[in-house]
Amino acid sequence: MAKILLVEDDDLVRDMLAQVLQRAAHEVFGAANGDEATEILKKMEPDIMVTDIIMPKKSGITLISEVKDKHPNMEIIAISGGGRLDPTGYLDLSESLGAAVSFEKPIDKAALLMAIDLLLQGKKEQVH
Amino acid sequence: MTFTHWIVLFLGISFGFLVALLIYLLYITRLRKKSIDQITKKFHNEMAERIQAEESKTKLEKALLQGQKLQAIGTLAGGIAHDFNNILYAVTGYVEMAREDVPRDSITFQNLGRVLDASHRGQDLVARILAFSRRQHHEISRISVQETLEGVLSLLKPAIPASVAIHVIHKVHENCFVMGNQTQLHQVIVNIINNAVDAMDEEGTVTIIISHLSANNSYLKQLPNSKKTDYCKIEISDTGHGMDQTILERIFEPFFTTKEVGKGTGLGLSTVHAIVQEHEGQILVDSQLGHGTTFTILLPAIMDNHG
Repeated sequence: MAKILLVEDDDLVRDMLAQVLQRAAHEVFGAANGDEATEILKKMEPDIMVTDIIMPKKSGITLISEVKDKHPNMEIIAISGGGRLDPTGYLDLSESLGAAVSFEKPIDKAALLMAIDLLLQGKKEQVH
Repeated sequence: MTFTHWIVLFLGISFGFLVALLIYLLYITRLRKKSIDQITKKFHNEMAERIQAEESKTKLEKALLQGQKLQAIGTLAGGIAHDFNNILYAVTGYVEMAREDVPRDSITFQNLGRVLDASHRGQDLVARILAFSRRQHHEISRISVQETLEGVLSLLKPAIPASVAIHVIHKVHENCFVMGNQTQLHQVIVNIINNAVDAMDEEGTVTIIISHLSANNSYLKQLPNSKKTDYCKIEISDTGHGMDQTILERIFEPFFTTKEVGKGTGLGLSTVHAIVQEHEGQILVDSQLGHGTTFTILLPAIMDNHG
């Protein structure tokens, strides 16, 4: 089980992903944009952040570079449908900024959960 | 000298003078006529040039307008497709979870499976629209038009009915090379050949002609937007039912289709148009109801370094 911060501006997608993660026994904190996520990060430290890239107010790209700076141990998963552009560009950028894995929407549920498990395992190994 | 002599001399001189005057007048008239002819000729030439300039201006304006229209529809479609992608993603996510909560042998499980299938079809369509509207970065390399065509034909032939004949005519001895993306050019030729086969109700002839046009070819001069360079020309003609002017004007518009519901997405030729534009080429279409259609693709040619 992990504490996961889920940042996604589409209410339906956020709620759906939150349920997917909760069903896999994770604790989920939802944020609708980068600003909300920054507020939540002041109060708690999740194990993993799953973030969309194109969002109003603060984008996922800005959020990732800020989080990598302030919370270097937090694992980040970037997700994107790419907006009006090809998502691979955004996802490559988010990976170069420090996201461990990136997924193009629609994301395969099993692949997302497996990635989370692998990242958690890696974190545990780092600690021991 | 007698008086008669004087008269004869006078008449002789007068006659000579008259003849000289007549010759002079004839000369002047001929000269005038020549210069009038020249002026008329010049005037005609100027008129023709002006008409041609006006025509190519209209053509250019029309092409620009069409380009802008296609771009606007592309942007609009891209925006809608992106939002739809999110909506369908939420739908599939919820349905997958709902399916986990019901017994596998229940009718609910089956029906939710149908919802998933339908959503996946929607996602495929969205993916196609996004591929059309996004300017993706494709790998560009030196490509032989002939080899690309051969590749496409060997792929397509098993799917083409035996009653459809395909003739390929090479008007160039050497290969015609272009800079482009192999997959995209495959897509262009496949789309046009498939349309040709569909237009013929599974019987007829598709003729493909490949030729090389040098930069000063008169065919290129009448085209708006053509660059001063050599071109590879691919003509694909069918003997199908052809199209009328109203349809011809709209064939490159996204979502425009004359095919039955479920058979065409209306994205085939708009994708073809976008790809040809991306390759800095041109695509022209000529069609006559009942006589068939010819698509002409022009792609900037590059020099063959190997010969």
